Amino acid sequence: MGEQSKTIIDADSQAYMRKRNGTFKRWSKLLLRSKTGTVGLLIVLFIVFVAVFAPLLAPYNPNAINPSSLHVPPSWMEGGSTAHLLGTDNLGRDILSRIIYGSQVSLLVGIAAVLLSGIIGVSIGLISGFYGGFLDNILMRFVDSFLAIPTILFSLVFLAVFGPSIMTLIVVLGLTNWTSYARLVRGEVLSIKERDFVRAARSIGVKNNKIITRHLMPNVISTFIVISTLSVASTIILESSLSFLGLGIQPPTVSWGTVLSDGRDYLATSWWLATFPGIAITITVLGIIFLGDWLRDVLDPRTK
Amino acid sequence: MGESFIQLKNLKTYFHTEEGTVPAVDDVSLSIKKGETLAIVGESGSGKSVTSLSLMRLIEPPGRIESGEILFEGHNLVDYSKKKMRAVRGNKIAMIFQEPLTSLNPVFTVGNQISESIIEHQNKSKKEAKQLVIEMLTKVGIPRPEKVFHSYPHALSGGMRQRVMIAMALSCNPELLIADEPTTALDVTIQAQILTLMKELIREFETSILLITHDLGVVAEMADRVIVMYGGQIVEETDVYTLFKHPKHPYTKGLLASTPKVHELKEELISISGTVPNPLDYPIGCRFADRCESVMETCRTVHPELKEIKPGHTVRCWLHE
Amino acid sequence: MNYIVRRMLQIIPVLLIISFIVFTLVFIAGDPVALMLPDDATLEEIEQLRESIGLNEPFYVQYGSYVFRVVQGDFGESFRYGQDALSVVWERLPATFELAIAAIIIAIMVAIPFGIWSATKQNSSIDLIATGAAVVGKAMPNFWLGIMLILFFSVTLGVLPVSGRGSFAHLILPAITLGTGIAAEMTRLIRSSMLEILNQDYIRTAKSKGIKSVQVIYKHAFRNALIPFVTITALQTSTLIGGALITETVFAWPGIGQLLIQAVNTRDMAIVQACVMIIAAIVILMNLLADIIYRILDPRIKLD
Repeated sequence: MGEQSKTIIDADSQAYMRKRNGTFKRWSKLLLRSKTGTVGLLIVLFIVFVAVFAPLLAPYNPNAINPSSLHVPPSWMEGGSTAHLLGTDNLGRDILSRIIYGSQVSLLVGIAAVLLSGIIGVSIGLISGFYGGFLDNILMRFVDSFLAIPTILFSLVFLAVFGPSIMTLIVVLGLTNWTSYARLVRGEVLSIKERDFVRAARSIGVKNNKIITRHLMPNVISTFIVISTLSVASTIILESSLSFLGLGIQPPTVSWGTVLSDGRDYLATSWWLATFPGIAITITVLGIIFLGDWLRDVLDPRTK
Repeated sequence: MGESFIQLKNLKTYFHTEEGTVPAVDDVSLSIKKGETLAIVGESGSGKSVTSLSLMRLIEPPGRIESGEILFEGHNLVDYSKKKMRAVRGNKIAMIFQEPLTSLNPVFTVGNQISESIIEHQNKSKKEAKQLVIEMLTKVGIPRPEKVFHSYPHALSGGMRQRVMIAMALSCNPELLIADEPTTALDVTIQAQILTLMKELIREFETSILLITHDLGVVAEMADRVIVMYGGQIVEETDVYTLFKHPKHPYTKGLLASTPKVHELKEELISISGTVPNPLDYPIGCRFADRCESVMETCRTVHPELKEIKPGHTVRCWLHE
Repeated sequence: MNYIVRRMLQIIPVLLIISFIVFTLVFIAGDPVALMLPDDATLEEIEQLRESIGLNEPFYVQYGSYVFRVVQGDFGESFRYGQDALSVVWERLPATFELAIAAIIIAIMVAIPFGIWSATKQNSSIDLIATGAAVVGKAMPNFWLGIMLILFFSVTLGVLPVSGRGSFAHLILPAITLGTGIAAEMTRLIRSSMLEILNQDYIRTAKSKGIKSVQVIYKHAFRNALIPFVTITALQTSTLIGGALITETVFAWPGIGQLLIQAVNTRDMAIVQACVMIIAAIVILMNLLADIIYRILDPRIKLD
């Protein structure tokens, strides 16, 4: 009897999930119908490709200094050469190569930080929503506190204390960005908690952590995916901002933010130094936002 | 009862959705006489609400009036400019809706919302309008109208809200009142009160009514003549007496059979076996064929036309050729 | 009013949590003494200073006295400015407010008409342009936008000053830079809430009354859209200040953003702490304000 009702509950829970998540086939159909979704996916795939094969794609070592070709303009301009498609900077470094390598940092920091904040946020959201009461109250005050401090401000203080490095940057961005997960997952848990299959599972004595892993986790996955995608976009902007301020990625590692920051001093003479990395950031973020918006439309029944 | 003052002629309103074209109103012709109450009955999706919205020219994209005429006092409303149409709406033709709570704007006071059409159509100042609104509120049986004037909709009960809607609709003394399921969202006792009120008011204001409903109890109470719609088309039209005594179309019969006696109300009044056909892909024959108990060979292959079988009684059915 | 009092009381634990986090970070950051004394200070001098400012006490004692001082507005002395940190921050606030208010005004002037137009003419070319511009505005890092504006208006055209504060001309570029991201967010918000509201029954009722469509859109629909708009905009204060930090750095705008980033770079922790607490207090007050405005705008909710 117990086993049987468990099976029924599982089936019910899975049916609810399926209703929300849909099948792969439906997804791809919906993806192709949305132009921006398709464009977003293509951009993201392209950036990932560039980041993974950076050593093969980049024409130069991004840090190779070449005193014989300083401030070379992009190839289509007067004085430009096809040797440096997007020109060179004040040290003769090839901008295209620097941008290609920069994608590695952006994606690495973006994805790793979001995964970290996802883990923290989802755990706190699940605990807070599921157990409620005093614990919930305390955790939500924590969320409020974090929301009251601009993310960039928090990161700055962290970085001032621990000193800038890729690892600190990932940890810092992970630690400051979890609140949106916690809030949404908590809300989701609160509503799913009242659904029949969870009540039934409880009534036949299924343990709490099993209810969480078996019934709640799968149901918050779609929310998780949507926030994560959009968070990668904002994290990439944040990373480049911090690097721009000189508190993020440190040389010799190349980040779009630092390339941009270097170029800022030569605006009057070499506009391309500050322009191209910004375009790279904008296109990347745009692609991720397109993909994320599409995912939200498909996964989140509330926005329909 | 006078001559007919509003006529729909071969009206077609289609919705052009991503999946295809839905003929929500498919070649509907009807007329309403002065002081008459005409009811349109049908299940949801039968096209009865779209018919009434078409009459007000309130169809939004992807919907569109494809063809046909809406003749009102000798003019075709389909050809009216936006501005001319606005002068008709709320003034000569007014409308009340099913759900009074969501049909009233939550952020404006009742008085503000009723005043609007008076100010718009009767060239009245705010002060004069307030006077008229309070008169109207009294007429629809609202106690302490001065206070209700300054209330927000959410502070009123469901019945009170519907009275407010009625006051709003009748404030410019319209020739035609379209009532789209006016009592469906209300409690049974309140339903009866609202129906009584409406009957009193149409007598007083000499307003014609186009009543949209799925509730045959309401039809028996209010209507003079009845149109039954199915799949975007009229399937039967007759006076209310004949409809209940001698229904001809199998669908009408089904509706009557599944309806409990008047005042004995249930949640879902209409239940005929089978489902409404997909409006994207109506059968070539009779649209009711799949659910019809008396279905014949012809029904599946040839689409029946609306035929007058007796003066004032028309039916769309092969049984009555 | 009961409600507001309750909300005010909730602020206390939030501020305590923030002060705790900040204090812990600074505690971990280690010895401020090294920075406060000249390089050639003797060990004895260092020890003396440590003892005199209570650095030899245990963590909780130090935190306690820290909170006690902060409540009185004493964040310590900035060693860089040689004066009370709070008053240094206080002096910089008007500049930041000026920038933020200018940015919000620009954003509102752009977002309200475009948000409404694109919602009322869904899928028209104006809608495509407005939504497209909004998503690009969101994807652009604002420091890059700032640099591009400098490149165009200051370097190429030479019509507006590159940096600093003073005349109205100085305000234009920073305000546009900060305003663009906000405008993008606002446009999306107004568009989506207007789209939702235009589908409501009461809009159909308004139309059925024969009133002008201007009245339907700007009175009936927009008055409802104003509720989420004002609320969410007030809740965006944290994002706004985050953006101001970077914008101020790009344009050398003498507000708290610039002050803070200099303080982080020079490890002037008194200033950093004062900035964080002041910014958090502003954000929290704005959130409270958002809550109150929401209750005033929506007659369905009573203020009690």
